[in-house]
Amino acid sequence: MIGVAPALNGVIGALAQEGPAHAATAAGPAWAALIPALPLLGVVLCTLCAVFRVKNRLPAVLTVACLAGAFGLTVWMFLTTGHGTAVTTSLDWIRFHAAPGHEFVSSWGFFIDPLTCLWMLFVTGLATLIAIYAGEYMAGDAGAGYSRFFAAFNLFVFSMACLVMADSLVLLFLGWEGVGLCSYLLIGYFYKRPAAVAAAKKAFIMNRIGDVGLMMGITSTWVVFGTVEYAPIFDMISRGVDGAGNALPEWAGWVIPSLFTIGAFGKSAQLFLYVWLPDAMEGPTPVSALIHAATMVTAGVYLIARMYPMYVLDGTHWVLTLIAWSGAITALWSATIGMAQFDIKRIMAYSTVSQLGYMFAGLGVLTTTGAAFHVFTHAFFKATLFLCCGAVMHGFAGQLDLRRVSGLWSMRGWAVVTIAMLVGCLNLAGFPFTAGFFSKDMIIAECYVTPGMAPVGWVLLLTAGLTAYYTFRVFFRVFVGPAEFEPGDEAHAHGPAGDDHGHAAGAGTPSSVDSTDHSHGFHPHAPGLAINFVLGLLAVLSLAAAATYFVGGEHGWVGEMVHHSTAGVSGAALPGGGAVHADLETGAPGFLGYNPHAVMYYVSAAVGLIGILIAAFLHGPRGVGGLLIGSRRHAATSRADALLPVLGPVARGAQHKWYVDEVYDFLIIRPIWVIAHLFHLFDKLIVDGLVGLAGWLPRGMGGAIRPTQSGHLHGYAVGMAGGVAVLLLVVLLVAW
Amino acid sequence: MSIIEKVQYIWPEIAMFIATCVVMVLGLSPSLAIRRLCSPVCGAALVIAGLLAVMGPDTAPAALPHLMPYAKVIVAGVGLLLLLLLAGTVDREEESLIATGRARFNPLRTNRAEFYAFFLFSLTGVMLCASASDLIWLFLALELTSLPTYIMVTVSTRGRSHEAGVKYFFLGALGAATFLYGFAMLYGGTGTTDLSGIRQHFAEHGINSIAMLGLLLSVLGIGFKIAAVPMHFYTPDVYEGAAAPVSAFLAFVPKTAGFLAIMLIASLPGWGYGPVAGADGVIRDGLGAGASLPEALRLTLWVMAALTMTVGNVLALWQNSVKRILAYSSIAHSGYMLVGIIAGPVGERFIDNGLAAVLFYLLAYGVMNVGTFAVLACLEKSGGAALQSGARSTGLETGATTEIETVDDLRGLCRTHPAMGWTMVLCSLSLLGFPPLLGFMGKFPLFTAGIAAGEIPLVIVLGINSAIAAFYYLRLVAAPLLEDPSPASPPATPTPFPARPMAALLSAASVLILVGFAGVLMKQSAKAGETVVSPGHTAGRGASDGVAAWNP
Amino acid sequence: MTTLAQANLPAVMHQLTLAHYLFVSAAMFVLGLIGFVTRRNLIIMFLCTELMFQAAGIALVAFSRFHLNHTGEAFVIFVITVAAAEAAMGLALVVLLFRRRESLSAEEWAEMKG
Repeated sequence: MIGVAPALNGVIGALAQEGPAHAATAAGPAWAALIPALPLLGVVLCTLCAVFRVKNRLPAVLTVACLAGAFGLTVWMFLTTGHGTAVTTSLDWIRFHAAPGHEFVSSWGFFIDPLTCLWMLFVTGLATLIAIYAGEYMAGDAGAGYSRFFAAFNLFVFSMACLVMADSLVLLFLGWEGVGLCSYLLIGYFYKRPAAVAAAKKAFIMNRIGDVGLMMGITSTWVVFGTVEYAPIFDMISRGVDGAGNALPEWAGWVIPSLFTIGAFGKSAQLFLYVWLPDAMEGPTPVSALIHAATMVTAGVYLIARMYPMYVLDGTHWVLTLIAWSGAITALWSATIGMAQFDIKRIMAYSTVSQLGYMFAGLGVLTTTGAAFHVFTHAFFKATLFLCCGAVMHGFAGQLDLRRVSGLWSMRGWAVVTIAMLVGCLNLAGFPFTAGFFSKDMIIAECYVTPGMAPVGWVLLLTAGLTAYYTFRVFFRVFVGPAEFEPGDEAHAHGPAGDDHGHAAGAGTPSSVDSTDHSHGFHPHAPGLAINFVLGLLAVLSLAAAATYFVGGEHGWVGEMVHHSTAGVSGAALPGGGAVHADLETGAPGFLGYNPHAVMYYVSAAVGLIGILIAAFLHGPRGVGGLLIGSRRHAATSRADALLPVLGPVARGAQHKWYVDEVYDFLIIRPIWVIAHLFHLFDKLIVDGLVGLAGWLPRGMGGAIRPTQSGHLHGYAVGMAGGVAVLLLVVLLVAW
Repeated sequence: MSIIEKVQYIWPEIAMFIATCVVMVLGLSPSLAIRRLCSPVCGAALVIAGLLAVMGPDTAPAALPHLMPYAKVIVAGVGLLLLLLLAGTVDREEESLIATGRARFNPLRTNRAEFYAFFLFSLTGVMLCASASDLIWLFLALELTSLPTYIMVTVSTRGRSHEAGVKYFFLGALGAATFLYGFAMLYGGTGTTDLSGIRQHFAEHGINSIAMLGLLLSVLGIGFKIAAVPMHFYTPDVYEGAAAPVSAFLAFVPKTAGFLAIMLIASLPGWGYGPVAGADGVIRDGLGAGASLPEALRLTLWVMAALTMTVGNVLALWQNSVKRILAYSSIAHSGYMLVGIIAGPVGERFIDNGLAAVLFYLLAYGVMNVGTFAVLACLEKSGGAALQSGARSTGLETGATTEIETVDDLRGLCRTHPAMGWTMVLCSLSLLGFPPLLGFMGKFPLFTAGIAAGEIPLVIVLGINSAIAAFYYLRLVAAPLLEDPSPASPPATPTPFPARPMAALLSAASVLILVGFAGVLMKQSAKAGETVVSPGHTAGRGASDGVAAWNP
Repeated sequence: MTTLAQANLPAVMHQLTLAHYLFVSAAMFVLGLIGFVTRRNLIIMFLCTELMFQAAGIALVAFSRFHLNHTGEAFVIFVITVAAAEAAMGLALVVLLFRRRESLSAEEWAEMKG
């Protein structure tokens, strides 16, 4: 297996000087290699299951076992590493020696610091929980598809572990591409559905655009520093020298970060590259929860946080400013789209894009802590939300339209889902004292502290209100109010039996359901034990994540972790000195004259509450479920419908995702299509012509000399005699 | 070297000759059991000859001192495969009549004794070619190889083999007259028929015009044996007319003899010529100045090689009969091997030595060629047009079965007769030079040796021709593997000779397994391809630097 | 050993050189070739190949004399032997073919082509 080669362990040069915020690098534990190795073992086992046509839930059990093992090891790694930085090398991986001083070396090793531990903790932890959930959720596909799903699932965790734990940019790139591949495989899991295939392609292509940036960034890094391994790079940055020992070239400070940023935008669905993420919801919901909400899409945030020393090299921070603005715009943009969607999974997808925007804004305004904290809390509550959507989808045969399902609360067996959903929504909406509230706060407050960034803060604040609205729009429509439902199209696909899902546990039919005629005797099955367990646990964890804010240092446990990693931003780390964060006493901008850190709690809490109340007013049902201000009587109609004529084009635009896909189609796909057809014509007429000629020429030659094989003895004799004579004559004339 | 000294080198041939005499008698016995001993005796003779060749002295005072053991062992080895394949080729209906009691054994009507005796004679001739140290010897060895094959072709079937025989015999006589005249000129130019004597004469006195004419006529005449342009015309008709096992025999045995002879002829002047400025300032071909054959000989072989490959491949594209495809491909393969002769021993390493490449290729070609022909020999179908000419005069029907013939007959073979189908697929891919099969291992050193010798244009021609060859070889691969059995043609049934499929499977297995022993084989062929350094051979042949080290 | 000079021969014979013999040899070879190509009768064609063989034989004997060794003459003995063997085979073949087609024309045998 990969890295159980302790003999190769070695220390890569300890940092000579005290780094920005991290302690001296120590030799890491060799067993760290087991963390990615265990999921890889899972891949092998699941593949074997596929080969041997295992029809039961064995792949899920194996996956959970492997991932739980990886999680256990991660906890152990976290406990043993503490706040130090450790580098472990498992094996020599790539080694090119062109000439002395021009070498390309990348070992297969791991860079373990608190940032790594933070990421790995929620990656492996959530992966384990979601694997448990998926074991039940995917049960309908038991057989080859089931094994395929879990093999890809394991491969994803392996790739993510490589990405996060890598000690070099090359290994990070391997993981980066690996998660992209798994994303592609899992989005296209239902490969018989054209939409799923198209979404998988879209995700892959959009990611490739970002990958080009990352690749160029890695190459530039190698050009400047002569290595792709973190430890020496950070050492050189702290000393302000490049690979040859000269002063760092000025362009390195903005070119490399810009290139990395392009990569991060692609993976984390920012700005113009976000369009793949909502479409990626074609994949199975556990995948959406794990990959497209909690972990993979935060890889961009991780990349920037990991390479943060490079981002702060340039004193003007204009790349960071760009990132902040991009994040804010993305957050607002996708929130507006989310408000107008009806597919609850899509709404969650847009909210993910929006929340990723927050994280980027956080990175842009120099609060890596805020960004990381938001990643951390978001991972839990967004996974919860997605899994709740998945439970709905699972129970109602693929129904995701919030106009067609209502009042889950009053159906039997859906209590856990409703509570978990409420917890998730409160977090997302930034309801006071939830984890999401603290992390979002930290980012918005920091915007007002950083000079010139106040507009970003206002945008984010507005977005927070919109977020609260569309989040609770879902909750009020689907989970409370009159119990009504229409099954989704999978009910027909599965036939009247409807129990292809393989389990009927806890599938009670609510007697009071005002079932419509469309159901054809369809019975929604309420989630079983595994799903309820995972949802309950995740809901608890989402709430508990808030507690981490109160342990540890000034910015909580996450702040402590980030502070001791390469992403830690301290005054000393900034070449421009400590004057970046404005001090209120010096008259720098604050929040309307108040200390942002002090008042932001109240402001954002108020904004969130207003959003929730508007949602309750427009979409809430009559009675307590609608906070006494709602009036909805049916699943399909609400007060918001009355606003549609007023808002008109705006609503339609948002509903159609601001026509971004159409614009792309017109601006990019059409021209490329035209060019492709021109090339195709060239291919067909010129290249094929040449190929055809190449094929025709030998045959033509054969046809021309074929008459020599006349079958007549005399003809052959003439040929032989003549051939000898001609050949002798030629030789006589040319070479005698 | 006196004949007494020479005997120690020709024990394999002597053993074969003794067996030939035994077989000739055994085959005439009225007892079926004794008649059936012909084949095992031949097999034993080949095994013994191979062993004797291995145990015999491995160095001889010749231009290619280590040639004999290798050449004789591959001849004996491929000979064993051919022997398996030849089972039941003659006397099939005769024996069935005797078995059913409708006829009594008549020594005048049976061909078995002669057929197996001629088989051994022919192989003995090839071995003698390797042992030749004299032009007279070489002439006799070549004729001993050829004369039996004329008979074998003629008696192999009752169909078109007569036409094949007449074309083969008359054109063969023409070819033989050509190289005999060449030998006469060589003797005339140098005053000796002893090969080392001629070599010495060339080294000391240069090559006069008569000797040069002798070299060219010899090479051109021997071109008949290897089916090289312009002596190639007979090939497709003869291969088509003869029974498939005999065609396989023709594609390997005379070809090997021809290449051994050409190697010996080419080694007379040696590969040490190049342009050199004479005392009068005129640049002309001279010994010791370069790394090629004398320009006239090189040009002749060059044109022959290029034309042979091209003609063979482009004509194969038009064929529908598998045997004709294989016949034309046999022409093309001769062209490939001529590249190795032109390149010559550039360096010590296997990949730099064109002669070693040729010797290796002969083995590889023998094995894969037997495999493809064996598939045709193993399957037959009822009816068919091939019998028309035979039916006219003899009236002796063969039960109206013929060998499978066209590419259509191969369709779906991997499903209907998997062993045969896969043999065809593997051997065709190997003939195509598909890595990592044996044919690739054989073709690769031809390229590298050609490059090392600086024959870049010829190597390009070789490359283009290898690509053209893919057109028809892939037909032979696709028909059994990918296509459905043709509903129009009658289904193929296996022939009642278990030895033939054995030959097919052994060939197919060898195409795969010998790859594993390629290192040993290459080492041996590199040794066999070593030449003694001729007097003028001092100039460094540094062209090999450009070739990447590839020495398994 | 009597040489040509000592023999009681016409004077012109004394002026014969190697070139004359070689010319005869070459002429015979080419005539054999031309006969092979132009005649249709299988027996005549076979005789033409014999002519070519013997042309080589003349050259060998002439060279043998020129080089004052006997190798060429020994070679000729073998050539004649092989030619005899070929003649036996050739005639047997012709008989076989005649039985089949009742004709000696080579043109009868041109079924396979292309």
